Amino acid sequence: MAFFDIKGLVTPFTALTQLGKAPHTVTFPYHKKETAERYRGLHYNNLEECIGCGNCSTICMNEAIDMIHVDGVEGGKGDSGLRPRVDNGRCCWCALCVEVCPTGSLNLTKEYIYVTPDADAFLWTPGVSNPEGKEIISFNSSVETSLGMYNRIPMPELEGKERIKSFAEVMLYYSEKEAREEATRCISCGLCTEVCPAHMHIPEYINAIAKGDDNEAIKIIYDNNPLGELCGKVCTRRCEDVCAMQVRGDAVAIRWLKEYAVGRAETADIIKEIVNPEIKEPNGFKVGIVGAGPSGLTAGYYLALKGFDVTIYEANKYAGGMTMYGIPKYRLPMESLDKQIDYMKSIGVKIEFNTKVGKDITFDKIYNSHDAVFVGVGFQVPYKMGIKGEEAVGAFPAVNMLFDVNNGKTPDIGNKVVVIGGGNVAIDGARVSRRLGAEVTIMYRRRVVDMPADWEEIEGAEHEGVEIMPQTIPVEIITDENNKVKAIKYLKAEMVADDKGGRPRPVPIEGSETIMEVSSVIGAIGQEADYAFFTEEALKEIEINRGRMVVDENMMTGMKGVFAGGDAVNRTADAISAIADGYKACKAIEKMLIK
Amino acid sequence: MTDTILDKEQKLVQLLEQTFKKLSGKVVRQRRVTVSVEKELVPSVLSYAKSQLGYIHLSHISCVDWPENNNFEIIYILWSPADKVQLFIKTLINRENPEIDNVDMIWKHANTYEREIREMYGIQFNGLVGAQEFILEDWDDMPPMRRDFDTVDYVDNNYTFRPGREDAGDVREEIIKRSGEDIPDFAKKYSRD
Repeated sequence: MAFFDIKGLVTPFTALTQLGKAPHTVTFPYHKKETAERYRGLHYNNLEECIGCGNCSTICMNEAIDMIHVDGVEGGKGDSGLRPRVDNGRCCWCALCVEVCPTGSLNLTKEYIYVTPDADAFLWTPGVSNPEGKEIISFNSSVETSLGMYNRIPMPELEGKERIKSFAEVMLYYSEKEAREEATRCISCGLCTEVCPAHMHIPEYINAIAKGDDNEAIKIIYDNNPLGELCGKVCTRRCEDVCAMQVRGDAVAIRWLKEYAVGRAETADIIKEIVNPEIKEPNGFKVGIVGAGPSGLTAGYYLALKGFDVTIYEANKYAGGMTMYGIPKYRLPMESLDKQIDYMKSIGVKIEFNTKVGKDITFDKIYNSHDAVFVGVGFQVPYKMGIKGEEAVGAFPAVNMLFDVNNGKTPDIGNKVVVIGGGNVAIDGARVSRRLGAEVTIMYRRRVVDMPADWEEIEGAEHEGVEIMPQTIPVEIITDENNKVKAIKYLKAEMVADDKGGRPRPVPIEGSETIMEVSSVIGAIGQEADYAFFTEEALKEIEINRGRMVVDENMMTGMKGVFAGGDAVNRTADAISAIADGYKACKAIEKMLIK
Repeated sequence: MTDTILDKEQKLVQLLEQTFKKLSGKVVRQRRVTVSVEKELVPSVLSYAKSQLGYIHLSHISCVDWPENNNFEIIYILWSPADKVQLFIKTLINRENPEIDNVDMIWKHANTYEREIREMYGIQFNGLVGAQEFILEDWDDMPPMRRDFDTVDYVDNNYTFRPGREDAGDVREEIIKRSGEDIPDFAKKYSRD
């Protein structure tokens, strides 16, 4: 051994070379590592965007998701009021729930739990358990890549130029293949059934169509709607407004699918064979119905099935009410309506045509000879526009024109027509006028977005070359020496926000007065009922408020045994509400007379 | 242009099809080729690919259950480090009596994959030596990776639930409660489960 050990002296100093290096120890306080970009951690649910459709719960193969009531979440139109809760003890973070969430409210975050002493901590209500989760979302779904089918199968229809040549049906309707494909888009949540006035069994019949059981679908539709084909063609389809698919894509074409199903049954006999309803033995009670519109027909159909002796009194030559005389044939062809009414007759509904109550038969007589009466008279009398020149030749209400056209007449409207109004009747008037060969302009007080008409109808009118002039207020119809319409004077309007929080009001712009030469002016600003057929005694008992009959929850008016429904009762004034009223009245009449 | 890019892939398909008459191949994309063969030919194709074509690495043996066609599909995934091409060798075997020859004499580690498939799908590999149990212990049910195995049913029958989930509601019923809709019995089979 050397006396002077140089190595032993120097070696300890080599440790100094480590000084500049990063330590290998764990940092304190501990930092979680950043997760991967699309990491699938605990769920987060945006409680406001979520509509409680339960699709996440349905898809979960581990049955890890329950739908529960959550404080502060109220259900309503288009919202079940339930929210998902995830059992993370069962969840495998496959994220299928996120992929199929129609609103995109459900996501996965970067957050995770490895272990916890509290096993209940795994029961996790996304959005409630982690309101801050919004900031750390890492796995979400997009419409492009999602498993949900957000695009509607396009509905084949006639071209605008072809359409105005005739009254042929515009919609060509789904083929079998298209209908099945469209039906598979439905996630069967049933949110639609709540807003449907008739509460039709929508997910059930759509599922039946998806599975290829068209006859079952027809039976399900006829369970509470005997005018399925009518609704399939012209329903106001509020169901589609709340469809879960509509949040991020196109609503399921509920209306067209109904048309598809019922359209399979081509004649009344085939409907009868498929629906094969149970008709009860006659029970001896008689029910009289005033008006063969959708409400009266519905009440009559279900009452007849229950063994009542039903007679409907109809003023006109054909049944259907406003759907027969108010809806143009390019939307609802005569044969379709005939088929549905023939079917009703075949199960025992009697209809007295050309029998106007109050003229051909008194209301008293009907009341006294029946055990119950249902009044479904609808709104037949058009409102007056209240402007100068309204009485001129060539100025008439749209409902009168539609009545004439549907009766096979061709009214003389000239070559330049102005339609006043923004509802479906105005659009119908305009599109019919186009088919009669006129140039058509629609004048509406408010903006196009405010128009109460169905957007598909507005679009249809535009395709057919109807010009829409929004924010336009007609002030006078100018006539020539023969009292014939010559021109219309109108003002442009600007929209002024309403102080009370209502919708913006149109206010005329001073000096914007313009005159347009026209050959006809068609008014479509609403209708009211004509109650002249009621006797004075009846009117004492039946309360009428703002033109509508007042009924209780059983659809009964103030007069015992007299029920009412349809446009003359409800505020929504569409066929499906009338059908719902008729169905409700039928149940109430049965309850009053039998149970 | 694509012709030049897919040159080696197409050549591989050609070579295999010339060598084995009952084989059909397809270029899926660049660096990926699949060939379908009958199950009797599998060992020959594998050893030919390994010894003659340079596909010296067996990446994986996979299995797919096709109850629709009453088949299992076994897929051998090979890799050639020289060509940098993945070769998928697929074969269909009958689901009723599923058996196929063992190939662990070509690649020793095939043994592990085969034991896994035997346990998860219930497929017999003729000549396979090794412990019967792989991951599952005392399993006497249907092989669990078969598609007709009902996972939820199995869990319900074998495990108990922790309490705390009894308040679960049903969306359709919640809406019916509010709307008063009355679904007829014959329609209920079309409601969502």
